[in-house]
Amino acid sequence: MDSGKVKIIKKTAAGFVVFLLIPLTVALGVWLFKDRKYNIISAIVAFLSCVPFFIRFEKGVNGARELVVIAVMTAFSIVGRLVFAPLPGFKPVTAFTVISGVALGPEAGFLVGSLSAVVSDFFFGQGPWTPFQMFSWGILGFIAGVLLFRAKKKNLLLICLLGAAGGAAFSLMMDVWTTLSLDGGFLWQRYVANVISGLPFMGIYAASNVIFLLVLTKPFLSKLERIKTKFDIFK
Amino acid sequence: MRYFDRLHPAAALVYFLFMILTAMLSLNPAVIVLCYLSGVIFCGILTGFKNLFKSLLYSIPLTALIALTNPIFSHRGETVLFFLNDNPVTKEAILYGVFTALMLMSVFYWCRNYSTVMTTDKFIYLFGRAIPKLSLVLSLILAFIPKLKRKYKEIDAAQKALGVYAAKSYVDKIRSKMRVLSILLTDSLENAVETADSMRARGYGLKHRTSFALYRFEISDGIFLAVTAVLGIGCIACIAAGGANFNFYPALSRLNLSAVSCALYACLALLGFMSLFVEVKENILWRLLKSKI
Repeated sequence: MDSGKVKIIKKTAAGFVVFLLIPLTVALGVWLFKDRKYNIISAIVAFLSCVPFFIRFEKGVNGARELVVIAVMTAFSIVGRLVFAPLPGFKPVTAFTVISGVALGPEAGFLVGSLSAVVSDFFFGQGPWTPFQMFSWGILGFIAGVLLFRAKKKNLLLICLLGAAGGAAFSLMMDVWTTLSLDGGFLWQRYVANVISGLPFMGIYAASNVIFLLVLTKPFLSKLERIKTKFDIFK
Repeated sequence: MRYFDRLHPAAALVYFLFMILTAMLSLNPAVIVLCYLSGVIFCGILTGFKNLFKSLLYSIPLTALIALTNPIFSHRGETVLFFLNDNPVTKEAILYGVFTALMLMSVFYWCRNYSTVMTTDKFIYLFGRAIPKLSLVLSLILAFIPKLKRKYKEIDAAQKALGVYAAKSYVDKIRSKMRVLSILLTDSLENAVETADSMRARGYGLKHRTSFALYRFEISDGIFLAVTAVLGIGCIACIAAGGANFNFYPALSRLNLSAVSCALYACLALLGFMSLFVEVKENILWRLLKSKI
């Protein structure tokens, strides 16, 4: 067997293990803890869902230049979160994640989103919600990349829509976590109450994403495009 | 010198994982109180009791808020205390809220202790070989953050000195900040690629490169790890065997005092307060040695 085939088999095996691990975790939760520990099981599942993306990145061919650019974009979104901390509700992480996905591809988008979550939680408080943030932001960057990375003309309207939807989805997803950990179960009544109490926040969040994207997309995309052409990276 | 600074990162990681897992797994009041107390006191030892007091100023009202909102949504339980808008407020629902809140807080404090002890260099030391690219990106990010912050201040100051920084209204403020961010990005992207080239010039990604780390797995680390593993697995096995069973609804059950439960409480108490014990012991030893000089 040539090395290319071995690599493919290894990749598939890694993906397979994760796909087995998720139902296994759920089954273990049901069997060991009588199906009552939703919050911890769901956090583990959220984390495991990130693993295939990380494995793909780890096994992929990325030069030092690509790695460093990803690191800069992530550091940027975290610093942005710190800089804008005095203005409540204005968090540029989603905007940076979407822009990274659009400019650098789905894989880079996922990494920027999920790593921003992990690292910024070093500053804002690490907790069981971290895997949820990792997955929510990561998948947002991934979707942005899938939709727009190969597109010749980047549609600003679509990008802003993604940002708004991403902000709302992120808020809804975190409310699921709150509901799960408060009740040890999923109560629709409580979930709706959580969502309603979070509505103003969700509004600011979605609106601020759109504002960030409206202002930042054009200059940031052109800067990233320039770097891409100049140094021949992220083709 | 804190004991947990000297402890091998692998042993510390296993310890925190067991504590956080156990804290999340049960709503048994005894288990929650043990996790909460050990987490809070350990936080005080690690970060100083002044900082602990500050964080308690936030966390206690938050606990109370979660505890008080539960009876609004949940009307289960048979001991009705009073009626609020024709809905019964029960003793069980209030207590359920209190213990859920305490559970969340104990997880919060143990996560905080985790991030105090497990600094990123330790994390990268542990996982650097398993996930080389990711841990490299992680350490790059952490190196870039203070760099970017410094650079941001410089650009900000320059813009202000040039007189182009309008800060009259909210919109102006945001616009100025956006411009600074934009300048910062151009600068840092160029620099980043230079960093990458310099990394490659120094042999990044070549085979057989080794890295230096201060951590050595000593016998005392092994003992700590073994004790942690035995107690931690003991806790989880006891919870799985039903030792932590406790019902809030419809009526509060009595605290389980069967053999399995007692084993659970003992294991958890030992596990939770083990960290406090080693830290205090280390502290006393340190003072004794210091006074002799």
